[in-house]
Amino acid sequence: MNRAIIHGLTILVLLMPATSAAKGDDFKMVVKTIEQFYNVKHRSLPFLAKAGLKTATAAARIAGGTPKRVAEAGSVKVAFFEEQEFIPRGKVSDFRQSLTALLSNEWTPFIQTVSAKGEEQNFVFLRAVGEKWNVLVVTIGKHEGVVVQVNVSQQTLAQLLKDPDELGKTITDDATIVDDQE
Amino acid sequence: MKSLLIKSSTCATLALLFLFGTTLSASAQDGRIQLGQLEHLTAKASDTITVNLDEKLMQIAAKFLSGADEDEIKVKELINGLKGIYVKSFEFEREGDYTTADLESIRTQLRGPSWSKIVNITSKKDGSLEVYLMSDTSKLGGLAILVSDPKELTIVNIIGPVDLDKLSQLEGKFGIPELNVTKPKNKPRN
Repeated sequence: MNRAIIHGLTILVLLMPATSAAKGDDFKMVVKTIEQFYNVKHRSLPFLAKAGLKTATAAARIAGGTPKRVAEAGSVKVAFFEEQEFIPRGKVSDFRQSLTALLSNEWTPFIQTVSAKGEEQNFVFLRAVGEKWNVLVVTIGKHEGVVVQVNVSQQTLAQLLKDPDELGKTITDDATIVDDQE
Repeated sequence: MKSLLIKSSTCATLALLFLFGTTLSASAQDGRIQLGQLEHLTAKASDTITVNLDEKLMQIAAKFLSGADEDEIKVKELINGLKGIYVKSFEFEREGDYTTADLESIRTQLRGPSWSKIVNITSKKDGSLEVYLMSDTSKLGGLAILVSDPKELTIVNIIGPVDLDKLSQLEGKFGIPELNVTKPKNKPRN
């Protein structure tokens, strides 16, 4: 009996880190998918910080409300693609499908906008993590791109949901724009 | 042996068609219409917007919107009980990039007994606006709006009980475009 309990607990302990690791990997997988499909290379935030760029301190304004931070402290993940030629290896719709398929298990595709024959694309995926929500924003332009993942509270998400068109921009600005006033 | 194979493949095809048909009609009966068949238009469109607000997200929006702000109180009342909002919108550079068949793939789902077309405005210049309401009270309820002009196609699908009188308060929120939809007035009795 005791052996069965110990065996069960061992499996549980072994599974826990695996689950959290799998959750954490989605961001990297998305970045890798972009790199492979568009033949580009990302720069992570620490690299840019060394180059003199401050980390995010922007205060985003949600739906006309008081400016405040959107992302939960310490939850921001950012990957930049700067001054690069985004050359698609296939149809833009293929990229969208592979991105959606990659995240289909846990993430909900909340909003997708594709404009001017794929020259600008925005994707926002949402995932519940306990009482919090992960928001993953992918923005791809002709020469630039950014992937941002943040944690937000349910209250913040409710405000963001009111204006889906601005959600991706709000999250990305919050995570990347340097606020000179701070 | 050959006839057996033909029979088997026919049965399999019929079974698949039945399953596909059941899925489509069952889904439309729940108020949710299928929009996946329009995916091919993304390649032709100059702009495509897809918004998916499922039941879980609707619950969060309803629960956490401020009870202090007058506008938010109204919105909160409206979205309480809604099970989803789904929007698909295409803008095209050229006329004819989408076809009547694309529109029909949506209309077909709305021809069931649960759905009633309550608004139908057609204009050669401005295109058309069709509003369908799931009128069967034993069902979940829902609303489907089709806006089409030669260079634009927008479908809004709201799942759950919708008050048409207050629908305008949701326009511009949760991805729902400005539609200027008003409830048709009852015809006066003679």
